Amino acid sequence: MHLSRKTKKRLLSTVTYFFLLIASIYSLFPIFWAFLTAIKPADEVRSPTPTLFTANPTLENFRSVLFETQFPRYFLNSVIVSVGSVLLSIFIGVLAAYALSRLSKSPGVKTLGVGMLLAQMVPVVLLMIPLYRIMMNLGLLDSYTGLIISYTVFAVPIITWMLKGFFDTIPIEIEESAMLDGCNKFYLIVRIMLPLSVPAIVSAGIYALVHAWSEFVLTFTFVSDDSMRTLSTGVFNFMGLWIVDWGRLMAAAILIIIPIAIVFTFIQKYLVSGLTAGSTKG
Amino acid sequence: MISFLKKHTIAYVFMLPAVVFLILLLLVPIINVFIKSFYESNLLIVGDDLFIGLQNFINVMQDPLFWTNVKNSIVYTFGSVGGEYVVGLGTAILLNQNIKGRAFFRGAMIIPWVVPIVVAGMTWRWMLNPDYGIINVLLMNIGILDQSINWLGSETTAMFSVIWVNVWRSFPFYTISFLAVLQTINKNELEAAEIDGANMFQKFWNITFPKLKGISIILIVLHLIWTFNNFDFIWILTEGGPLNATETLAIATYKEAFMKYHYGTASAISVLMVVILIGMMALYFWLQNKQEAKGDN
Repeated sequence: MHLSRKTKKRLLSTVTYFFLLIASIYSLFPIFWAFLTAIKPADEVRSPTPTLFTANPTLENFRSVLFETQFPRYFLNSVIVSVGSVLLSIFIGVLAAYALSRLSKSPGVKTLGVGMLLAQMVPVVLLMIPLYRIMMNLGLLDSYTGLIISYTVFAVPIITWMLKGFFDTIPIEIEESAMLDGCNKFYLIVRIMLPLSVPAIVSAGIYALVHAWSEFVLTFTFVSDDSMRTLSTGVFNFMGLWIVDWGRLMAAAILIIIPIAIVFTFIQKYLVSGLTAGSTKG
Repeated sequence: MISFLKKHTIAYVFMLPAVVFLILLLLVPIINVFIKSFYESNLLIVGDDLFIGLQNFINVMQDPLFWTNVKNSIVYTFGSVGGEYVVGLGTAILLNQNIKGRAFFRGAMIIPWVVPIVVAGMTWRWMLNPDYGIINVLLMNIGILDQSINWLGSETTAMFSVIWVNVWRSFPFYTISFLAVLQTINKNELEAAEIDGANMFQKFWNITFPKLKGISIILIVLHLIWTFNNFDFIWILTEGGPLNATETLAIATYKEAFMKYHYGTASAISVLMVVILIGMMALYFWLQNKQEAKGDN
């Protein structure tokens, strides 16, 4: 402890950057490596002495995934199911969150809130069997509707709680003055609460989108028709088919990440604030 | 009555869609599972199920595989949550320092969380591959390993590897949550402690850590539940193998229902999962209370 204050500070910051670097490598290397593998020619992928960078980069793996498989179809399915379920969950979530935040004096509202918290604890595997039967009886296996509905069930509780947390921070006076001006409740939500809540709705939506894009188990269980598979389950199927073709598998992996990466760079700020709103207030 | 309706109509109209969804697709199915756990029921056979009382539970508990599943679930859950907590807290503390390029580092550390689980699983399966996987190659080049290890394919390392991948995918959620709380801590308080002669660890232990308690409880409880119930990570990485070394209760439920079509037995396993989960939560809060009571003395 004979170090001067300045030396100590410098030492501390060196250590900080060192560990930050390690943590970043830990986070990013797998994706980096997937990309480097995807652009390698086949004989270099399966080499016992792999090099970091290939001298002969190729887009062959990407071409093969995009044009020789159902990948574009999976992509379309993922977009339809994810967007559909996010819109539906936001619609249901906004209404329920408004009730939880502003109308909690009505009997039963609080019970719903507690129910939504408890819903987080239900194992998905536990629900898979009865949900499978319900979907089978309704003829909704292998359908967009069935997937959108089942994704929504699991998204609504968390979205509602995130939005409720945000609605709670909007001063009630704004509403009261609007009420005096003769606004009805629907008008109030559409014209006042929604515009004020855009950041919260966007971040809740992103949260739901990340989950929907990644969703695996429900689609894996409810879909058997290959043309109805989403990216997650479709690409999982590739793993069985191309057991050793890691170049192509990594190309598929990278292709799934690209849309998220694009969305992510634009709205990182929203995502961070939404997550923290949900986790610190929930 | 009319005035009651008039007063509360709006609330009920707003709640209706959520209530319909949750009752029809959560509550009814849950009740269904509890009921079916007392029946002999097969997904392939249409017809009346046979009431057999506790027979499903007896069968399940007499099967030694069930106890392996329980052990695996517990190891997987606590290993994952412990690892995520440590990595999440560590990275949050790093990001909370006065550093340049915080946005970049923070972005880098959220990436794993937005990567779909299938992509995470596939990428790590490739990296952990015994023949050409980069992890083995690196470890052998450095001289840590003499020969390559089949990380996901050998009974001794499979569980560790699955936990490792799960920690990689899940820690950013902790990082972001901890960071949000760390940024609310008053710098003056830390400086005052420093002037009073507190070192870094004392400052952390006495000032920072107590403020992280609330968020820690939320994170730990949620992730204990989510990890215990998790299906996709293990399924994508190992499908429960090799030789059931990574078969958790969630995987067992799936196999029982969708590969053997024993709906009744699968329901019994999931009911037991809920029981274990409630037990775990009760234990957690009991320990929590005990610790708090000790702290008050």
